[in-house]
Amino acid sequence: MSAAPEGLSTTGAATTGVLPARSGWLERYARVVGAETLRALEALARKMKGHRIVMVNTTKTGGGVAEILHRVVVILNELGIPTTWEVMEGDAGFFGVTKRMHNALHGHVIPLTEEDREIYRERTRIEAKRLALDGDLIMIHDPQPAALIDLRRRPGQYWIWRCHIDLSRRDEAYWEFVRPAVEQYDAAIFSHVQFVPPLSVPAILVPPSIDPFAEKNREMEEEEVESIVERLGLEPHGPWVTQISRFDRIKDPIGVLEAFRLVRARRPAKLLLAGGGASDDPEGAEVLAEVREKAKDVEDVEILELPPQSDAEINALQRMSTVVLQKSLREGFALTVSEALWKRRAVVASAVGGIPLQILDERTGLLVRSIEGTAFQTVRLLDNPELRRELGAEGRIHVRDNFLHTREVRDYLAVFARVVGKGPV
Amino acid sequence: MSEGFRFFTSAPLESPAGHVASDLESLKAGIATVSPESIFQHVTRMPVRFPHARDLPENDFARWVGDALQLPEVSERLAFAGTMPAASLEEVRAALLAVLNRVPERDRKRSASEGASFEFLEARNVLADLGIEAADPAQVVEIWPQLDDAATFLHLVEAPIFGRTEYALIPWLRARGARGLADSAAKAVAAGPPVARLHRVIGTKWRRSMIGRRLVDRIDAAEEVRLREARETMTRLAEKLKGEGRA
Repeated sequence: MSAAPEGLSTTGAATTGVLPARSGWLERYARVVGAETLRALEALARKMKGHRIVMVNTTKTGGGVAEILHRVVVILNELGIPTTWEVMEGDAGFFGVTKRMHNALHGHVIPLTEEDREIYRERTRIEAKRLALDGDLIMIHDPQPAALIDLRRRPGQYWIWRCHIDLSRRDEAYWEFVRPAVEQYDAAIFSHVQFVPPLSVPAILVPPSIDPFAEKNREMEEEEVESIVERLGLEPHGPWVTQISRFDRIKDPIGVLEAFRLVRARRPAKLLLAGGGASDDPEGAEVLAEVREKAKDVEDVEILELPPQSDAEINALQRMSTVVLQKSLREGFALTVSEALWKRRAVVASAVGGIPLQILDERTGLLVRSIEGTAFQTVRLLDNPELRRELGAEGRIHVRDNFLHTREVRDYLAVFARVVGKGPV
Repeated sequence: MSEGFRFFTSAPLESPAGHVASDLESLKAGIATVSPESIFQHVTRMPVRFPHARDLPENDFARWVGDALQLPEVSERLAFAGTMPAASLEEVRAALLAVLNRVPERDRKRSASEGASFEFLEARNVLADLGIEAADPAQVVEIWPQLDDAATFLHLVEAPIFGRTEYALIPWLRARGARGLADSAAKAVAAGPPVARLHRVIGTKWRRSMIGRRLVDRIDAAEEVRLREARETMTRLAEKLKGEGRA
């Protein structure tokens, strides 16, 4: 099935022309990032006049990639570059294999069987016949549709592989299964330098980005925040220290409890640990049970299991926070940090993965490396509203300059220009 | 040579430069051998990577040595070595290496923990025509507010460093006799501020420098035209003051 974002047909009906009048999302973005930034984006888009883009992934709803594509496809069309979005379909068998592939490329050891390989190849053959890959620039997102290039590349097309996942701890058996396809692309895009595996094709770094107009990030009046907080059964008056993240060992919720115990011994505060991942993941349920047990020994701790689609709740919980924690032991990019910074929150986070790109220590937030460090910086922030305000203000500006969708679109346009031979100059 | 000055914006493409450092020796080896585009990415591009920072962070090498190797003294020296915005990339490279050559033997053994290595990147820019051209220096002053951060950085810092004279604005201004505009821009660039501040400072200086010229131009204008313009100026000033009051 072809999927199109709101207001667009699946056949790539798009605004065309050299200088499209700003409308819709571009106009909204111009109010956030400034007219000069939009003018620069339009200049890059003019460079790509006459080209046609097709984005391909495996889901239209759910997950970060679909969220990004919904908006990025609209923006590209509004910029005058016809862009369509194709969704690779599959059955339970195929998605079982790709789920295992996803986990294995993230570092979980899972055997790759010959049957798995055949399911993947067969579904690729079926989808290669069906998908409308009729642009000259094809951007394939993640490993699931990567092998389409074997069957569908035609002369005059440029293929780009956009990898959204962290390959730094990849299972080599799975990677060796995917790599021959990836090496046929004209370029591969990764979110962070640490995620780039050895490759024979150019690797380009494009960090992920957030949508300031999404439910999770949109502006929210204080009354709405309070009403959501009340509905969730939380005391609206803090000060609240929160970590809103999946219940997963690498997010170190037990470390957060330890740090908060130290904080609570010195200052009155409440801790909220909120997140999903426990209902569809046995390990997540185990971690949540462990956290609940451990929390019995610490005063003023609330634990919330959030169902999927809790974007408004996450928005409200981040906005009510006096201090936002992201005390991960390791991380992918951790866009939750940018989400909190966008809301002008004071953030204390571990210096791992993509976090140091978002948190410039003592400028946009505070970086920590230990439980005691987390406690120390949390107390420091609880005591100092001026510092919280300064870090939050600088953090929002840093996100506006570097981690909104307009920057990701700019980077994609630059990648397209490079692969078609229109840059760098 | 074209008479006008055409403005472009630039979009950086960052990619791994192929060198990873885990201690001072491997950092030194990397700085000595990586491409000029890598030195550019980690040091010279700081003002455009953090365009609206109130206080520009130290360059990437200095920050890594301070954070991952916990060597504050070396970090400070590297930070200072990187604060030469108009210097050639080879001069910057030499200054950084000179700092690393002076590090005492005991500190050279310090290595980063697992996962905290320094990965060298390089940036190559894709340029795009903004469709704006200035016929003379006075038009540059008028056009200036329309430029984005990347365009400002390209025309004032990046183009001269990479010897792309066709995109370098300051020599173009000089060649057209606008020495005052060129000098004030060069002075602002040399201070190395975040690029949004650089853009603002130059815009303000240039507008002020044009006041005398505008007054001379207006001497011949009719009285009612001068009065109307004066009223408009006062209205704009009042609006600005009201806005500042609200903020």
